[in-house]
Amino acid sequence: MASLVTCPHCGKRPKEEFTVKGAALTRPAVDAAQDVWFDYVYLRDNPRGAYQEYWHHTSGCRRWLVVTRDTATHEIFQCHDAAERGEVTA
Amino acid sequence: MSEFRVTLSPALGGRAAVSRKGISVEAQPEGTLLHLLVDPTMGDAVRLAADLMAAGLELRPLTTGQWFAVGDTALAHADLAALSATLKPQADIVDQSHGRVRIIVKGKMAARVLSKGTAVDLDIAVFPVGHATTTLFGHISAHVTRIGEDAFELIVLRGFAESLWDELAQMSLEFS
Repeated sequence: MASLVTCPHCGKRPKEEFTVKGAALTRPAVDAAQDVWFDYVYLRDNPRGAYQEYWHHTSGCRRWLVVTRDTATHEIFQCHDAAERGEVTA
Repeated sequence: MSEFRVTLSPALGGRAAVSRKGISVEAQPEGTLLHLLVDPTMGDAVRLAADLMAAGLELRPLTTGQWFAVGDTALAHADLAALSATLKPQADIVDQSHGRVRIIVKGKMAARVLSKGTAVDLDIAVFPVGHATTTLFGHISAHVTRIGEDAFELIVLRGFAESLWDELAQMSLEFS
């Protein structure tokens, strides 16, 4: 896993300051079918390559971030505040 | 806000200031420490700062829309209620005076010592006087503000204060 995360508020910080929640997925509609919700809650793709996740800067600014990283190379492509959502594509 | 103040013995009461060559660590009086949650759409922070200064408090930036306001003396309940009423609806206050402790680390070697515990670049060029951030010191989360060229203020949760103090004492040992 990437060891340095560039928080948009705090700058470069070690990963120990963060808590990873998991994949940043688009939430289904409230009345979506049960299998769609099952997929959203339980099933993950575990891709090799680009992956978008929610990270919480627990020991820093305490903001929720969306981190786009590569699971193979550990490179971090982008990191932005989750409040600016809309860019989540996964 | 509670009608009654809980009287606590100082978290670092038994600790004499650590004084070494080029670095000292001292506990601040447990006066007032307020957590401010500000609505940015309700006006600018300048007025807010003026109100807090009038109450004898200083602002420390915490995160987006949040500040700490600190002071050496404990505000009376009535003063706190009045301040809270003045700041509404722009800001809400959570009294954290009982929950967080301030420690001052100062001296020429202060940045060197603190750098042993955190990944934050404390160079004055990127971390100027007045700049503040929250970070890990070892395994302890603490808020650090540069209050002078060679002086830092750490704000730490009360329960971690002794532990952080011991770590600072140990990290500064090489300058004894």
